[in-house]
Amino acid sequence: MRAFRLIKVAGKSIVKNKMRTLLTMLGIIIGVGAVIIMVAIGEGAQSQIEEQIQNLGTNMLVITPGAATTSGASQGAMSFNRLRSEDAEKIRSESIYAAGVSEVIFTRTQIVGGSGNWRSTIHGVTTDYPVIRDWELRSGRFFDASEERTGKKVIVLGATIADNLFPDRDPVGERVLVRNVPMDVIGVLEMKGQTPDGNDQDDVALAPVQTVQRRLSNWTFIRQILVNTYSPDDIDEAQEELTAIMREAHGLADWAPDDFEIRNQEQLSEAAQGTTEVMTALLAAIASISLLVGGIGIMNIMLVSVTERTREIGIRMAIGARGGDVLTQFLIESIVMSILGGALGITLGVGGSRLLGSSMGWATAVNTETVVIAIVFSAAVGIFFGFYPARKAAALNPIDALRFE
Amino acid sequence: MSVPNAVIRVEGIRKTYLMGKTEVHALQGVDLTVEQGELVAIMGASGSGKSTLMNIIGGLDYPSSGSYFLDGIEVNKLSKNELADVRNQKIGFVFQGFNLLARTSAIENTELPLLYDRKNRFKNHREAARKALERVGLGDRVDHHPNELSGGQQQRVAIARALVTNPSIVLADEPTGNLDSKTTVEVMQLFQELNTEGVTIILVTHEDEVARYAKRVVELRDGQIIKDITQEPDSAAEDLRDLLARREAAQEADTAGVDAAETTANQ
Repeated sequence: MRAFRLIKVAGKSIVKNKMRTLLTMLGIIIGVGAVIIMVAIGEGAQSQIEEQIQNLGTNMLVITPGAATTSGASQGAMSFNRLRSEDAEKIRSESIYAAGVSEVIFTRTQIVGGSGNWRSTIHGVTTDYPVIRDWELRSGRFFDASEERTGKKVIVLGATIADNLFPDRDPVGERVLVRNVPMDVIGVLEMKGQTPDGNDQDDVALAPVQTVQRRLSNWTFIRQILVNTYSPDDIDEAQEELTAIMREAHGLADWAPDDFEIRNQEQLSEAAQGTTEVMTALLAAIASISLLVGGIGIMNIMLVSVTERTREIGIRMAIGARGGDVLTQFLIESIVMSILGGALGITLGVGGSRLLGSSMGWATAVNTETVVIAIVFSAAVGIFFGFYPARKAAALNPIDALRFE
Repeated sequence: MSVPNAVIRVEGIRKTYLMGKTEVHALQGVDLTVEQGELVAIMGASGSGKSTLMNIIGGLDYPSSGSYFLDGIEVNKLSKNELADVRNQKIGFVFQGFNLLARTSAIENTELPLLYDRKNRFKNHREAARKALERVGLGDRVDHHPNELSGGQQQRVAIARALVTNPSIVLADEPTGNLDSKTTVEVMQLFQELNTEGVTIILVTHEDEVARYAKRVVELRDGQIIKDITQEPDSAAEDLRDLLARREAAQEADTAGVDAAETTANQ
């Protein structure tokens, strides 16, 4: 009850001095607002970068044949052609981390059709492939499971091939010749651009793995198995699991080295993630400084207010307020002000980051964690910076305070 | 030497300040007993020690030596917090400068002491404050702010604030120092009325004009009591009546003069 009355007194004093209150809170409002906006921008940038990295395939694992050793001389990667469809099949049925699995075989050949011909690489893949690579279609469709199983003569063209063979029209529905085998174009892939080392990712055509094996290349060994996990966080576990499955599939003894290699792009994603984390921390640090300055502003005004209200403090003490009552009153005032300022700052921050997000096209993300931290922090600012002035007020001698002009 | 109705018993009180390097002996052995229902004026020139005595009686300051009993409690042995509670429960202050909180209505000012009442003697603060304001004749001004009230009305609010806790004693420090002569008499009339209702009042003043309304006058000089007399007080109510009558007469004379002048001018 008493505490409630003291809060009421503090509330009244805040309401009675609207201008002073607003000026006091301004620092906190801007500080909290800045923290939220900055963190939102940082996190927005982070999620955007994460998405882009996902595009590169951060949750993708690539299994390739290991290096063969002939009379002690290593033949290098891929020289040991021991990946088969059965391996992919085993992964499909046994792995719990694998979301999608796709065998990949390549064959480099001439594609004839439309306005001429184009030499390119044809990838034999499964229906999971566009999901694993996060590759959308520009037009048409991807082949389905039954087309894959039966080895239908269908092909999906990469953007570069499509643009070169059919510069003036959509190739979907056209027919091209690959090694004299007529194949129906059922889709065109979205432009993906270059890899970091300058390879054109769009200079490719995709066909069912069965089709490529049986009709185009007579090549039963598989060059790669692509696997993606449900989340980039599972990469390490998935890699271990796949290693075990592959060793079992190849019947390797405990002492035998792996005859395959599993690679992921975790380092790439870690580096990028690290960068954005540093950026977020930097922005938060800058914003925290403004919050700190806001806190000092509160202390400043509260100190002035204690001097200005010395007489009031004297009156309150003369009529029976204890030092503790005065301390509590001033402390409550500064806490209420900073929490109120914090709340307004949150409104400003959330509104500001929404506005920024929509006007600049940035993915700004405000999370509850930041908001909670901002509230707690502003209350802490109120207590910390309000304590010194409050104690100064409580320590006043009522006689001097009453005589103060 | 126990006095049955003694509200205040001050025994051999001394107070020494250090002003820079010189010691100032503000009070040099003061004995004073005030009984229930008294109306005492403590007089003295500035520097006589009357403010120091009032601060000690009011529980705002500690004596250097000697003892002070208020309602049988030895106040000089209390801690700061206990002293604050004594001020709240047993003493009602009225100051020269009114000392009301600005931008705060009369009733909010009046109920202020109840906020610090740790015994919670009054359940309904508003009601207690309203009654106190009615007692000083401001029942129709409860929601006015100090800047909307005259000096006399502000001092009445201050008196209501002093009365709201039903204190053992009302301590008034130069209560009429900022008021004109008519308002002074009005405020003194209020004090006399409250005294008749049984409120013990101590006035600190340097004006004989004020002291003559008290039943007892104590005079201090150089930190010692030099005079302590009981007198038949003048009636503030009568003085006020005379004052008003004289003013009215003067006003009538004025208007009569103006009328006469106007008549002459018109002719």
